[in-house]
Amino acid sequence: MLDTVFIGLSLGSVLLLVALGLSIVYGSMGVINMAHGELVMIGAYTTVLCQIYLDLNLFAAIPIAFVVCAALGLLIEKLVIRRLYNRLFDTLLATWGVAILLQQAIRLEFGLSFFGIHVDGLGPGLQSVSVPEVFNEPIMIGDFVLQPYRTFIILIALLLSAITWFLMYRTRIGQQVRAIMRNKEMAAACGIDVKKINAITFAYGSGLAGVAGVMMSGFKTVMPDMGSSMVVDGFLVVVVGGVGSLVGSIVASGLLGQLNGFVAFFSNDIIARAVVFAVVIGIILWRPRGLFNYKGR
Amino acid sequence: MTHTHLKIMAYAIFIVVVLMLPLALDEFWLNRTAKYLIFGMLGVAVSLSWGYAGILNLGQGMFFGAGAYMLGMSLKLASPTSLEQGNDSPIPDFMMWNAEPNAVIDLCCINNGSFLWIPFQSQTFGLLMAIALPVLIAWVLGSIIFRIGISGVFISIITLASGLLVRLLVVDAQALTGGFNGLTDLAWFTLFGYEFDPYSVTTYYLVACSLVAVLLVTRLLINSRSGLVLQSIRDDQNRAKYLGFDAAAYQTFFFCISAAISGFAGLLYVITSEFASPTFMDLTFSITMVIWAAVGGRASILGACIGAIAISMLGSSVSESELFVESWQAILGLCFVLVVLFMPQGLAGIAHGLCKKFIAYRTNKKRPYEKNKTEELAKGEA
Repeated sequence: MLDTVFIGLSLGSVLLLVALGLSIVYGSMGVINMAHGELVMIGAYTTVLCQIYLDLNLFAAIPIAFVVCAALGLLIEKLVIRRLYNRLFDTLLATWGVAILLQQAIRLEFGLSFFGIHVDGLGPGLQSVSVPEVFNEPIMIGDFVLQPYRTFIILIALLLSAITWFLMYRTRIGQQVRAIMRNKEMAAACGIDVKKINAITFAYGSGLAGVAGVMMSGFKTVMPDMGSSMVVDGFLVVVVGGVGSLVGSIVASGLLGQLNGFVAFFSNDIIARAVVFAVVIGIILWRPRGLFNYKGR
Repeated sequence: MTHTHLKIMAYAIFIVVVLMLPLALDEFWLNRTAKYLIFGMLGVAVSLSWGYAGILNLGQGMFFGAGAYMLGMSLKLASPTSLEQGNDSPIPDFMMWNAEPNAVIDLCCINNGSFLWIPFQSQTFGLLMAIALPVLIAWVLGSIIFRIGISGVFISIITLASGLLVRLLVVDAQALTGGFNGLTDLAWFTLFGYEFDPYSVTTYYLVACSLVAVLLVTRLLINSRSGLVLQSIRDDQNRAKYLGFDAAAYQTFFFCISAAISGFAGLLYVITSEFASPTFMDLTFSITMVIWAAVGGRASILGACIGAIAISMLGSSVSESELFVESWQAILGLCFVLVVLFMPQGLAGIAHGLCKKFIAYRTNKKRPYEKNKTEELAKGEA
């Protein structure tokens, strides 16, 4: 029983890691970023490359992946997203194109494979990352076995949520982001540089995706199309939780993670995912604005 | 010469080209082209729901898959391998593999739920279900979504989730649907005693004529009164409601039409490609359909259709050449970003602009004194 709760918790924390960045970007900018999963994938590859070329372990890869993905996000924002404000559906399509590009960039080793150059750690194959030794010893609490890496993910997810909360509710930039969420025109009229804040928001969201990628690389095989299913799950969490609501995302990922864990315990993984989708559809039909709606208050 | 004339000409040229193609192609290419035409039909379905109803459906593959599986079940039962097995009724081979050791070898009870297959021994039933099931799903989904008044992105998320849900269920019910492998080794489709060989000219014409019919019917529907109401709902739902129109009913109706077209495309695809697979219901495929429509022009039935045909044709011929096989996906992604950024109305938008210039040019030549007037008009319309 406790095991199932723990599995659910760790599934939920993975969802939360992906959803956090999406939630901020979607909530404040109204941009549906289908490339978010690919940014997670880039984060995972950053870990792989760090390990091969810089001999750095997973911990050191976290800040590097954050910076790499944030920079990439900034670039995407400047080149694509910026031109598509107020065209919500079009951001969905354009970022899907970006997602394909990012996937292919890794698969083709940034185009180097055309010249017969092979870069270790890239390409269409599977990569794996070894977890630091600290995580190899299971932690025992009485009879209950705590998998250390899963626990680490849960902690990181909570830590990132706390940092995001702090940034959003206790800093000047966060205040401006929330102002833009409520009413973009009015925020601009009050002297907030909407473009700049949006760029920062998008970069931060992308950076979070990068950190999520590092965490994923510890327990998942790293491959070019690992991100595409994640973005869907992330979106379901964001929509169920309520657009732009941090609490909503946390509650929704916890809920869906537990649901997934419990149903999987009683039947199988496929049924569990199906049940999750069904519940999500039900929740959206019941409360189209999500469980915790930020804008409606 | 007006805009309507040019439009009619475009349709006429397209139809003539599609119907004349068998003169130029061999059997192998006929079969392939038939598949592309089916994708063109999907383009029409997406354009109808996205461009005209304003519903971005990310679960279109669910309807396509439903159509494909329904007829696929009939064709599976008619295949020689299924006919050999079982005492009184044919039994699909994968059901045998998934059966309990002591199960009764009969379609009624070999697996849990295998009785659902019994009516599919009739191909007419499979044919009807291939249209009826997508429409039924769309009707249930649509009447809930539109009655509650869910709009925009949330419709996309719901359709996306339901598409994934259906796909998972199909994969999970392996004993009933063939799981990941889908339905393979199918018989040829038979209608009134005639067998449709997928590599024959007849099958090509079956597909081509269906496409032409779908195009024209959709066109008529759009120009009908209800089609115009639909477009007004897309542009301003509240205003249409205040004028007394039942917005939900119109949206549901066209959502169902779009599903029916997709289901029809699905059943034709099974006839030409001789398999049905859960990949039809993948999110990637649903989004690919949206890409076709976006590149061709979401607000133009013909544009979306041509976009679908052109991209899939280009895609498969390009992926055969050594140089492009790797980079095709990347090129497609890049094109897609550029199209969304710089030509939101797609190829059809460009054609539309050219037509306008052409008409303005001709009018000016005929009646130079009206030049200023037409220019003003053109400006006003732009």
